[in-house]
This record gives sequence, C-alpha cells and structure tokens, in this order.
Amino acid sequence: MTNDKTRCVITGLGMISAIGNNVQECWNNAMNSVSGIDHTKTVDTENCYSDFAAEVKGDAWDNIPGTDGMDRASKLCIKAVAEAMKDSSLSDFAGDERVSVIMGSCVGGVASAEIYYTKEKDSALIPQMPISAIASQAAGYCHAGGTVTNVANACAAGTISISYAADLIRMGKADIVVAGGADSFASVPFAGFTSLHALDDHPCSPFNHLSGITLGEGAGALIVESYEHAVKRGAKIYCEVLGSGITSDAHHITAPRPDGECQMNAIRRAISDSGITEADIDYVNAHGTGTAKNDEAEFLSLHTIFDGKNDDLSVSSTKAMTGHCLGAAGAVEAVFAVKALTENILPPTLGFSEEDLVVLAERAGKIDFVPNKPRKKEIDTVMSNSFAFGGNNASIVFSKNPGDIAAPDKKEKICITGLGIVTPAGNGKDKYIANCNDDGFEEPGDMRSAVGKTEYDELGLKMAFYRKLDNFSQLQAVSGMYALKDGNYCVNDDNSSDIGIIVGTSEGALSPVCDFEMLIAEKGNANGSAFKFPNTVYNAAGGYLSICSGIKGYNVTATNGAHSGLFSVGYAMDVIRLGREKAMLATGTDENNDIMHELYSGLGLAADKPEAPYSGSDKFTLSDGSTSLLLEDETYAKSRGAKIYAYAAGFGTAHKNVKTGSLSGSGEALDSAINNALCDAGIGTDKIDAVIGFADGHKVIDSIETDSLARIFGDKLKKLPVISVKQHLGEGRAASAALGAAHAALMISGDIAESSCFFIDGGKAVAGKTKSAELNNILVLSFAAGGSYSAAVIAR
Amino acid sequence: MADTEIKAKIKNLICSTLGVEADALEYDTALFGDDSIGLDSVDSLEIIAFVDEEYGVDMTGVGKEHFLNIDSIADYIESHK
Repeated sequence: MTNDKTRCVITGLGMISAIGNNVQECWNNAMNSVSGIDHTKTVDTENCYSDFAAEVKGDAWDNIPGTDGMDRASKLCIKAVAEAMKDSSLSDFAGDERVSVIMGSCVGGVASAEIYYTKEKDSALIPQMPISAIASQAAGYCHAGGTVTNVANACAAGTISISYAADLIRMGKADIVVAGGADSFASVPFAGFTSLHALDDHPCSPFNHLSGITLGEGAGALIVESYEHAVKRGAKIYCEVLGSGITSDAHHITAPRPDGECQMNAIRRAISDSGITEADIDYVNAHGTGTAKNDEAEFLSLHTIFDGKNDDLSVSSTKAMTGHCLGAAGAVEAVFAVKALTENILPPTLGFSEEDLVVLAERAGKIDFVPNKPRKKEIDTVMSNSFAFGGNNASIVFSKNPGDIAAPDKKEKICITGLGIVTPAGNGKDKYIANCNDDGFEEPGDMRSAVGKTEYDELGLKMAFYRKLDNFSQLQAVSGMYALKDGNYCVNDDNSSDIGIIVGTSEGALSPVCDFEMLIAEKGNANGSAFKFPNTVYNAAGGYLSICSGIKGYNVTATNGAHSGLFSVGYAMDVIRLGREKAMLATGTDENNDIMHELYSGLGLAADKPEAPYSGSDKFTLSDGSTSLLLEDETYAKSRGAKIYAYAAGFGTAHKNVKTGSLSGSGEALDSAINNALCDAGIGTDKIDAVIGFADGHKVIDSIETDSLARIFGDKLKKLPVISVKQHLGEGRAASAALGAAHAALMISGDIAESSCFFIDGGKAVAGKTKSAELNNILVLSFAAGGSYSAAVIAR
Repeated sequence: MADTEIKAKIKNLICSTLGVEADALEYDTALFGDDSIGLDSVDSLEIIAFVDEEYGVDMTGVGKEHFLNIDSIADYIESHK
C-alpha cells in the first residue's frame, strides 16, 4: 500500500463551464442530461459551416475582485480556483512556499490577442496574451509562493497539470498544489477548427456520429494536497490521486496514432503507476471528442486494454454537455470523475437516438458508455483520459483507496550528457564553444536565430517533415536533435519510451497565434489556414520534436515566462527521480520576429541598440534561440557509455506575486529559489564557485539579481565570478535560461576553458575573466516577469 | 490540357504556403502517399480552400485521383470552372 508520505488527495473542487458556474450547478445539470451547446453569439460565424459552441453563460466569472484587466481565460481560471479554495476551507496562502499553482491551457489569452488586433493596440493587453499569465495571475490571486507554471499541452494540459501536481507533492516539494486548467472560446480556436473541418455541424456526439467536435470553454480547479497535510488540518478528503501516465505519439501533429499505441501506453502507465490492475477501474471519463480519428482510436484502446480483464467497465464523455474545453478539458473532466466517484453516479454521454443505440451496442461490446442518462453505480476507482494535438496522451487515476504507489528515488544522480544549442550567433554546440573560446562572438545583426537546410541535412530531417514547422518549432526541433546527436543517444524501438521531453518557453507559440489572429481578422473566421493553425498550440514544437526523434515518453511544454528554460531542467530532474523516464530532453526556446519585437516594444522593453548586462538601461536587447540539454540518470548514462559533461545536482524555484509583466518587489523569491537549489544539492553557499546570472541590461532585472546575490553570498560576492550568457547574445528568454545551464555544463567539462564574467561589488559590476578548471559547482539563475525564479546547481 | 497559369499558381501555393521546396516539385510530381513529396490531409484542406477562393471550384469530397499531382488538380479546375 502507498505509504502515507507518498499519498496525495483531492480536498477541493472548482469548476465553470457551459452547464454551470460552479461544481454543484455543473453536476446537477449533468445529472439532468443538460447540454450547454448552442448557437454561438460571441464570434463571427459568417460563411462558417458550423456555429455551435458550448459557452459559459452569464458573468459570474467576470466579477471577482482583483481580476480587472485580466484575460477571460485567467478570469475563468480564478473563478474555479476561488471555488476550490473555499470548498477546501483554504484562505489566502500569504506567500507560502509550500503552495504551488499548476494550470493547463491550450490557447491562453487569445481573447486579448483578438482585441489587440481587431480593436485597439492597447499595450495593457500584451502581458495578457501568453499562456504564462494564467498560472501567474492565479498564484497572485491566492498568494502561492512555490512552484508556479502552466502546462501548455493543448487538450491534455488539464490532466497533465494534476499529474504534475501530485508528482510535486510526492517529491516533497509542495504540501498543496492548486491544479487545473482554463481556456476561453474565441475566434482563433473557432476559425482554426473550422479550417480543419474538425467542427461538427450539429452538437458533437462522442462515441456516436463521430462527425467532429463542438468547442467549449471554462475552467476546472482541484486542490491537490499531501495526505498528511490534509489530515493534519482536518480537511475534507474527496479521494486519492493515484498514478498517471504521460506519453507522446511520435506520429502526427494533429491526428492521433490510429493504432492507439502511445494512448494505450499512457493508460497502462497510469494503471501500473497506481499499483492497481485493469479490473480495478470502474469508470473512465474518456477524451471522447466526437471526431472519427479520436474516438475510433479510443474505442480501440479501451477494448484492447480492458476487454477480458474488466467486464464491468463504464465509460462516458462529458464533452456532449460541456463541449471540448481544450486546455481546461482535463481539469473539468477530472472534477466530473471525482464527483462520479464520491457520489457513485456516472455522468452520461448524451446524443444517442434509438438507432444510434443499436450501433453503439455493436461498437461497445461489454463496455457501458452510459448513453443519455446518468446511472448509479458503486465505484471505487476512476480514470480520466486526455489526448491532444502534438500527439500528447495523458491518463490519471482517482480512487477511494490509496493504491500502491512507489516512493520517489531522490538519491539517483542526474547527469548532463548532450547539448544542442541554437543562437543568433550560430548553431551547434561546437560553434558555441568556438564563439566562447577562440573566435569571439560576432555582433549578430538582428538577434534572430536561423536554421535551414544545412542543419536539416546534418540531422537527417526530410523536407516532408520540416516544411510544416513554424520558426519556433524549427528552432526547437534542431536544438533537440542536436542534443540527442551530441549525447550519442539513438532513439529506437527499445528505448523510445525511456526518454521524454520538457520544452520550456516564455512566449511559446504566441507569434503563430497572433499571425493566425491577423489572418482571420482580415479574411474572416471562415478563412483560417488549416496549415498554420496546428502551429498555434504551444506544444507543437515538442510534438514535432517527438515526431522527428521518435521519442514516445513524457512530453510536456511548461510556460511561465523566461525562467521556463531553466525550470524545464528542474522539471526533467523530477521526472527522472520519479522513475517516469531514464532520460529527458530539457529545453528552453523562444523566438524573436516582427510580432515579438512589436509586442516587446509595446511594453517599452526592446532596445534599439545592444544593451550590455549591468548597463543600467530600462530596456534589453531582445533575442532568441533554443537550447536543449540531455539529462539522464547516472546508472543509465554509464550503462550506455555516455560522456558526462556535468551533474544537475540541485534545483529550486519560487514565486512572489507582483503585477503581471513586472518584477519589482519579487526579489525575495529569488533568494528562496537559490536556497531551495542549494538545499536540493545538499551544499552551502561556500561550495558555489561561480554564478551564471540573468542580467540583461535592464536595471530592474539586473538589480534584483545583484541584490539577491549580495544577500545570499555576503562578502564572498566580490570574488565570485558572475557570468551572463546574454552579454553577447541578448535576452533570449527561455533560450537564455537553458543556455545558462548548458554554459555551466561546458565550463565544468572544460570544453569552455575560460569565460568572461563580472565581479559585483557594492552594486557595481566590473568585467573580468574566470577559468573553468577552478570551478566545481556553478549556480545558474533565471527570472520570469510576474515574480517567478528558478535556480540550479550544475556540478562537477 | 489545363493552362500553365493555373499550374503555376498551384505550385506557388504548395511552395509558399505548404513549405515545399520548388526544385522538388514538378507538375507531375506525386503529392500524397508513398513516394510523394509527403502532403497530407491538412495540406489538402489548404489546396481545396485555395481552389475554391481562386477559381470558385469546390473540390470538397472529390476523389483521390484528382489530387495525384498539380496536373490532375489543374485538369479538374479546368473542367469544372
């Protein structure tokens, strides 16, 4: 049985969807077989073949104090979070570092992007556009001070966020995680799914007519809590969170694998991770979108896994009531699954006529799809499944019983064995080393990275593949493949499920989103581009990397500002320590283009001339790139004879809420992130030989770094080399954050023999040099607007 | 035979919008399936949308034989406009 330290429970629920403004309303309507789908009145449907949507009714989401000016998705999220906290008898967390917020989303602030490009280019809308804003603002609302990030894995995001929440608790990194997902209905997803002909021209009918989806919107929030913490504070416990499985298809950017292989791997992993069997699952809240490709693959998976092992399985899709809530879907459906479990009633799959039921009987076999009406059933264990664009699959189990979950192994050392680097000053690890060692950095003209045929040919990528990629995905695919090549890691049938990916990004696919928004603003919602739309999901880059590399393991895109590129390293370390994978690609990727330049200029942050770190400017040099690090558990790396650059010895992160898009006043969270990283590495400040900081020339950013270093290191700081990878390459956001870790690894390994650096004395920075041979532990730092920080110790 | 202007426009669409390199695409190059340049169903939606907008010809649901290559798409447009 799962030991009490590893047990993880649900203590609060919140939800808003087309069938209700709170959990009870949604549940009552589900019990009355009410569908929230109707003709939309909020987006332009001229010349569109379908106008159905499941929209949130009324304005209950729009009147919460403190949410003025936030995007609709953040407001929906905070509505659900407020309900879940109240349900769990929790009040303001007052900056508690043991409280985290993990939120899923697919399209993020598209409503704000729509206003920006169709009505008024108000700069206040800009920080609301990226997905990053959602978790950051939700953390701001409840004053959580621990890990804060968004999972941007499209339609699987909500489920993955709950899985990650439970993992953080099991790793001992949080007592409470506010997890869930949020997305709003808007023109971008409507026009996008219209262009793909993926919308049903009737209300969607999952596991039935299979003629398409109906888009929904809303948010789900769950208070995920350590069992011991919940018991100690006398919290009401709904159920246990058992195991989960997250995999990647390595197949196609929008369509699921028809053979269901990786979908089934996710479900099987969730079952085995829980320490239960197929026979223990009483009910599955299915993905069940209503498209032929999804539902056929899901029929196949469910029959293959459960037939003969479980003849009393019930499955339903609640999307016929809520529509497909995209990044909120997994969270909304987890709430339904938990309610089903605790009320012992199965929510129905709506939409079956008498004739349909005859067809269903043939397709269903012994599985009960709960058609049309809810049904009472004594149940102990339920599963919720989500499958997404990008080929991401996620499955999670909730139960009345504690299951049999293994405690994580925190002792295994994690090493860095491969590096892929794409920068505006050239591509490849060797080019970066040469720039650092001998050649010096040429002043890159426009600070925009470029990859092309030379890199594709070198990496064996074919035109039929790379032609589909947007710029962001290209940068990520090339740096990821470089890292695998550099690590001599050959992905094959035997090891493809042993390796996963964490993509870290600040703005992710925001440029393709804005580009798509401009297209439909000009040509109408009926004339979106089917070719461009798949690239508007932030996890497309991770999906493409899975396709071209063959990686079928864990695959998550984490986005919460610039620190996401270092956060990905910490996240990947967790995945390895939990035994989910033996190896992980941890990346940081962001792009600089005309759209990004306009947005950062609109915020008054993009400099017209190069700005050096510590120059005291009020701007920085906007840049971009992609850095990928191959991380492996040491035993695995040594067993395959991998070259070890360095060890990822410790990681820490923290958040102190400040206004979205700003940083001032959040410096103490950087102190916490550093202390957490040192604690994780089991060392004190005396062992740190150098720092790779995040100074980029902007005085607020730079002074937060130097002030924190002064507090942490005291007198030692004067002699401590502080390096900034942005000195020559500008502010590449997540790309710079990950490059900091890569630079540290290359110094430890001796590939970079000497590095230019600064010595900070009395708030002043003096340029100098430091030799790598003298360094054993390097502290790498990163920041994110909104007040999140990551720190990592890279060690010899 | 369809006129070369139609073919040139379709080729331009496939290269500029769908990212195919021009030197890999002749008018008789196979577009879909094995031994082709690797277009898929998402790409076909773009081609259908283009043909509809440019020539007022609806190719939704039209048989695969008309999507073999640029020649066959142009022939279909020519005979249905």
